[in-house]
Amino acid sequence: MSVVTSPPSTHTPAYGHTGGGSVWTRPGWWRALLWTILAAALAIAVPALVRVIVGWPWWQYEVMSTCLMIATPLGFLSGIGCFDYWGKYIVGSPLPEGHADHGAYSWRDYFKVNTDHKVIGIQYLVTTFVFFLIGGMLAEAFRAQLASPSNTYFTHDAYNGLISTHASIMIFLFIIPAFAGIANFVVPLMLGAEDMAFPRLNALSFWMLPTAGLIMVASLIWGGFNTGWTGYATLSTHDPTDQGTFFNMGVQFAGTSSILTAVNFIVTILTMRAPGMTLSRMPLLVWANLTTSALVVLGTPFIAASQFMVMFDRVMHTKFFNVADGGSTIMYQHIFWFYSHPAVYIMMLPGFGIISEVISVMARKPIFGYRALAFSTVSIGVLGFSVWAHHMFVAGLQPWLRVPMMVTTMLIAVPTGIKIFSWVATLYNGVINLATPMLWAMGFLFTFVIGGLSGIWLAVLPIDIQVSDTYFVVAHIHYVLFGGSVFTIFAGLYFWFPKITGKMYNEKLGKWHFWLTFISFNATFFPQHYLGMLGMRRRVWTYDERFADWNLFISMMAFVLGAATLIFVYNAIISWWRGEPAPDNPWRALTIEWQVSSPPPIFNFDGAPRVVGGPYNYGQPGAKHVVFEEAPVTAAHH
Amino acid sequence: MSAHAETPGHGGPPPGYGTVGHLDRVMMGLIVALASEVMLFGAFFTAFFYVRYTNYPVYPPEPFEIPVDSTGINTAILISSSFTMHWALVSIKRGNRRGLTLGLLFTLIMGLTFLGLQIREYALLHGDGFTPEHGAFASVFFALTGLHGLHVFVGAVLLATCLLRTLRGHYSPAKHMGVELSGIYWHFVDVVWVILYTLVYLLSNGARAPL
Repeated sequence: MSVVTSPPSTHTPAYGHTGGGSVWTRPGWWRALLWTILAAALAIAVPALVRVIVGWPWWQYEVMSTCLMIATPLGFLSGIGCFDYWGKYIVGSPLPEGHADHGAYSWRDYFKVNTDHKVIGIQYLVTTFVFFLIGGMLAEAFRAQLASPSNTYFTHDAYNGLISTHASIMIFLFIIPAFAGIANFVVPLMLGAEDMAFPRLNALSFWMLPTAGLIMVASLIWGGFNTGWTGYATLSTHDPTDQGTFFNMGVQFAGTSSILTAVNFIVTILTMRAPGMTLSRMPLLVWANLTTSALVVLGTPFIAASQFMVMFDRVMHTKFFNVADGGSTIMYQHIFWFYSHPAVYIMMLPGFGIISEVISVMARKPIFGYRALAFSTVSIGVLGFSVWAHHMFVAGLQPWLRVPMMVTTMLIAVPTGIKIFSWVATLYNGVINLATPMLWAMGFLFTFVIGGLSGIWLAVLPIDIQVSDTYFVVAHIHYVLFGGSVFTIFAGLYFWFPKITGKMYNEKLGKWHFWLTFISFNATFFPQHYLGMLGMRRRVWTYDERFADWNLFISMMAFVLGAATLIFVYNAIISWWRGEPAPDNPWRALTIEWQVSSPPPIFNFDGAPRVVGGPYNYGQPGAKHVVFEEAPVTAAHH
Repeated sequence: MSAHAETPGHGGPPPGYGTVGHLDRVMMGLIVALASEVMLFGAFFTAFFYVRYTNYPVYPPEPFEIPVDSTGINTAILISSSFTMHWALVSIKRGNRRGLTLGLLFTLIMGLTFLGLQIREYALLHGDGFTPEHGAFASVFFALTGLHGLHVFVGAVLLATCLLRTLRGHYSPAKHMGVELSGIYWHFVDVVWVILYTLVYLLSNGARAPL
């Protein structure tokens, strides 16, 4: 891996590692193992002791599983070293000097708490991709079940476990954090900043993710939580397989991680721009991440609250969602969707940002309507908070809320349409380079428009009532989250692969990956619109005999889709390992991250960047976005 | 490339870098995080009013009552603690260490008193049968006040840390970010309580649903 540079002789490894002591007392995997076990023991012993003292039976499943899943991740995070610096800071102990935990000097540094945004970005991307593969395998498993209506590979509980973990992993552990990973690597560079505003917070955000993911994946050992990724009460509060804790706590850790990252991005973007980088010179990816971060900060507490309430109902027998005792099940859906609808934009806006970058660079034209694109991003963010109840049209929603929610939902098509038209107008008369990232961007335009149009259909009350809980909705969500978000993630991964790894990916394999994915994706999900309209219900392990032919076809295409992803895995590994060294700026892009070496220097810039123009002046000879000034070297200002 | 490890920084930050106006970036981070906290409370307020309006003609149902008066004293204590917190901050800005120590100490004592009285209130309610598992009206009440109590506890831990550091001789008129951050957090917790007390105690006790 070429990100690894030879360690300078004076480099000291991450703080604490030199301070003597054994592997059990300094930050790292051994201490993490030890503290995880200790935390687990305490999480059993303390509640057990209290319960014995009060005179209750010492073991109670809900209490113990909840305590375990709160304590063990915290034990792991402390053990691996996420809190060491703050602990010393708070009590006023001498702090470790310098940048010992910044930057990767060997592959081992990727397995440590590291504060370099580029290392964290790679940690995010690799981790989330592993979860993408796990989530994908779950999908292949239930597509095998669905290949014929009479298959019996899984019981209906196991089937529900598969679909629930599939959705939760894809949403909370792939799409949302994968965008955070790309942004982590790219945004500070685009801003001309040395790092994020809070590098240690950034590290903590990352390390929360694998813990959240392991909690969710671990539930598969017992068959998986099976309440759907929405975990509607009272299904979740009275789930007979009783694995709600896995979902509750997995969501809490993933959610905390994304809130902390969002705080970090907002402060970074507002305070750490290079001189000359006015708001109207920011690349659109930065605008997208600023808006997304605002959505995360303001929205995510609602899903946290909804999962707390479910947990209280399950563990402490409160009555939030118990209708007989004054609770309300619709309330769960209101609070849940108040986050989870904006979450759709959390999962899409960063992708819009990526597409703006890729299309402008690859069409060699200034982006059409920079301001319109930036403002439509912000207005999608604002409008996104006013549409949540369109998920509840058939749930017994207050009737007066229906039409307003239908109207606001349809309104969101306006800023989204502005984006689509701006991208198409950018392509018009462009000198288009059909390299792999551009193929993904064009594929995105195609599939996302289909997903957007079916979204407008679903906003319309009578149609929504007709197709609720059918495969039409499944088709729609996959057209926007796979054809939308995942396509943009791939566009971004190919686009920045040379910058991140310092190697070129294999163009031929990239194109195979795209075309196979594009064809099999559409073949998998387009027929589902049709099946949904005919009344095939989602979240059921079997279906009516008359849908059998289409479902066999869909399952086969789903296997092709899965196989296509392996091409990417192979391409990424082989190119990273022994690919052609990448030039600094293979796409001849103007934004700052392309003006530094590939991969970038450990501290990002050799000179001080000063922004002198817009980021998208392509096709204009001599246009510059940034110049580097050789500044006199003074003392580090950290 | 490796030279960067020895010489981080490329000429120091340009003026205004890392701030917006006079706002330090750590301060700004806290404020953004508090926006998130506002939404967390917002979600529990949503639950409170949802349950109160849709399912209870009279809140709380007979024969229960929300203890407005005794908690009023608690409210006064918490509001006062915001003033002593401010006193502590002003003191260290002027280099008055005694004022800082006493201000933090009084704030901490009042915060802990608030928590103690809230536990007493819970115990009394529990004795009357007003318990979280009795009905949704009580679940939302305990969730809101409990969430706030948890924040008071976190604030008290922050104050205790500040106090400990003060006693060890830390902080100066130029460097007292810890006190400033804890102070903002404490004021936030205080403001949330004033809103909570107004909406949940004063305006909801014995309230009829608008039908």
